Amino acid sequence: MKEVVKEKLSYLGRSITHPFDAFYEIRFRGKGSVALAVIILLFFGILQCVSYQYTGFIINTNDLSSMNSISIFLTWVLGFVLFIVSNWSVTTLLNGKGNMMDILTVVSYSLVPMTATLIFQVFASNFIIAEEAMIVYVITGVGTVWSLFMLLAGLCVIHEYGFGKTLASILLTFVAAAIIMFLGILFFTLIEQMVMFVISVGQEIIRRL
Amino acid sequence: MRKKSRKYFSGLLAALLCALCAAAALPMEARASDGSSYVYDGYTYDFYGNAKDSPAMFQLERTISAENMGGVALSSVDDVCTSEDGRIFMIDTTESRMNVFDGEGNQLYTTKLIRTVDGAIALDENGSQIMLNAPEGVFIHEKEQEIYIADTGNHRIVVLDLATYGLLRIINTPAELVGVTQFVPSKVAVDLADRIYVVVQSSYEGILELTRDGEFSGYYGVNTPRVSLTDYFWKSIASDEQKAQMAKVYAPAFNNITLDGEGFIMAVTYDLSASDMVFRLNSKGENVLRQEGNTPVIGDTWSLSSTDTGSQFVDIAVTDFGTYALLDRTKGRIFLYNFDGELLNAFGSRGNLKGEFKSPTSIAWLGDKLVISDDTLNYIYILTPTAFGKAVLEGNESYYFGDWDAALVSFRQALDLNANYEAAYSGIGKNYLMKEDYKTAMYYFKMGNNRVFYSKAYNGFRGEWLEGHFAIIMILFVILVAAVIGSEVRYHKQSKIKAKAAMKLLNSRKGRSEE
Repeated sequence: MKEVVKEKLSYLGRSITHPFDAFYEIRFRGKGSVALAVIILLFFGILQCVSYQYTGFIINTNDLSSMNSISIFLTWVLGFVLFIVSNWSVTTLLNGKGNMMDILTVVSYSLVPMTATLIFQVFASNFIIAEEAMIVYVITGVGTVWSLFMLLAGLCVIHEYGFGKTLASILLTFVAAAIIMFLGILFFTLIEQMVMFVISVGQEIIRRL
Repeated sequence: MRKKSRKYFSGLLAALLCALCAAAALPMEARASDGSSYVYDGYTYDFYGNAKDSPAMFQLERTISAENMGGVALSSVDDVCTSEDGRIFMIDTTESRMNVFDGEGNQLYTTKLIRTVDGAIALDENGSQIMLNAPEGVFIHEKEQEIYIADTGNHRIVVLDLATYGLLRIINTPAELVGVTQFVPSKVAVDLADRIYVVVQSSYEGILELTRDGEFSGYYGVNTPRVSLTDYFWKSIASDEQKAQMAKVYAPAFNNITLDGEGFIMAVTYDLSASDMVFRLNSKGENVLRQEGNTPVIGDTWSLSSTDTGSQFVDIAVTDFGTYALLDRTKGRIFLYNFDGELLNAFGSRGNLKGEFKSPTSIAWLGDKLVISDDTLNYIYILTPTAFGKAVLEGNESYYFGDWDAALVSFRQALDLNANYEAAYSGIGKNYLMKEDYKTAMYYFKMGNNRVFYSKAYNGFRGEWLEGHFAIIMILFVILVAAVIGSEVRYHKQSKIKAKAAMKLLNSRKGRSEE
């Protein structure tokens, strides 16, 4: 058990420094861990709440009196879930070789640099003055770019795409996400109307009997 | 039993009556019984752009109208200006008159025909009488004790003596005037070096700058137009012929100017295409207005509908401690900002009720009172600070002149009257910052949502902390360095040992193979 965890963690570390190699191993030799991926994703959601509140006052312009941590958490986590689902739907149609679990693993693993720099930002921003904020922003920016690079590399590898096709598939992913959101909203409004109809029929029956 | 209950009842009734009286007395204080006082509803914006209710800083004290004119006609009130001795100078464009009042509303002087210092009728070089013709602006130059009247209809500036109202000189169209701007002075200001600044409405070349003798020395002030991205795009693909047909983008005009306590020219524009609305111009004509507040200096920060143009400032009045009042003609509001550009208060409205404005034209300070003119109602309003306003003004004045303790007292008073007041929290913070009590300053800057100054206070706090803990930081640092060096040394030693062992092994193998 301990050995397994150690190996999974070592491939997580490897995916940060050598994304192509590590994601290849993860995809074809089963070195990835869905559980680890889920933990990272949930941790990222929690970290966003923490950053909303505890980022230092100088660069934190959030209105803390109207903070809603559940909404922040769900926005981030469901956002990534939406990305994963729509990426899967698009790449299935475009001969992508990766399955849902692979995509989840890639997306979550590639969040690690961003998570690390975000933790640094939350911590360091409490000890800086306005003139030094730029340093913190640069470091966070590096983490974000790194994460994006990992994501691109990972999607390339697991779907066996070239670079251009990966970019195109990501663009289509956003289109698919928009469609899913539209359908979701449509579904909920229709369901709401149906429920309201049933309720009013029920009320009518109760009143007449 | 019954008696007792009646006693109870009457006691209760008396108590109730008392409570009612007390409750009734409260709003009575807010609006004076003679109706002479009008209490405005004030507000400020917080850091997040939400309008926060606040007591207004001013209330109506009295109005000056045609009733105070002693029979002389009053047709419009277009500009007001005050002198340090408390006189109010008012320009009536339609009647071509300058009227002078004291702070009580008593008329001191009125003139259309300019007289000499001796009281005789003044004549110009052609021998005709000097009459004002649709003047639009007046300015008091305290340093030389002069009145400058922008005699717009006659294309000249008339300079009078402040004490006798006698003619000193006339500034006609300067001979060296370059550019396409016509010499139609509308507003005028004179700085501490006696340079004359003249605003010509709709001039896109800037403010005219004249010497004391009326010689043209240049255009002054940069008012950059806002460039929209779509215009830029169409311009970039248009041919030369198309470009020639397009409307040219001219620099917006300045609409009003005044002088601040340090001798800087402050100007406003209500041209919608201008990128800035309020200017504090340095000697190069650049805008150096401080905008360190939680909202930019634009008056209302958001508009209700697409037809709402936002605040349009027709005039600005500056105190000698840098606090300025802006007069918004679209909603009839007065915005007060301090030297750092923090919104102190906004109040006023348009309407027909007492204290409301129809088309406000001009604003001036009379001590700590505000004088505001309205050219539709033909009124001059004199507003006097409320208890809240007094506290805020005194706080800013004391802070500006470096009297930290007095400023603290005043800002605390303001906070007692309005606990949602970011400007007062930030004001208290600034005073603690100046007294180098960084921790308290940080607390107040946080309350006032003032991140710029919080950063300054934190810088001081951090410096003090580092200084106080210098020994332990140095010890930790030395230990760290020692640890790093130690580990390096150990690593090298080990690698040497390993290398030796490897050599030995190699040698022994070599030896074995040789054998």
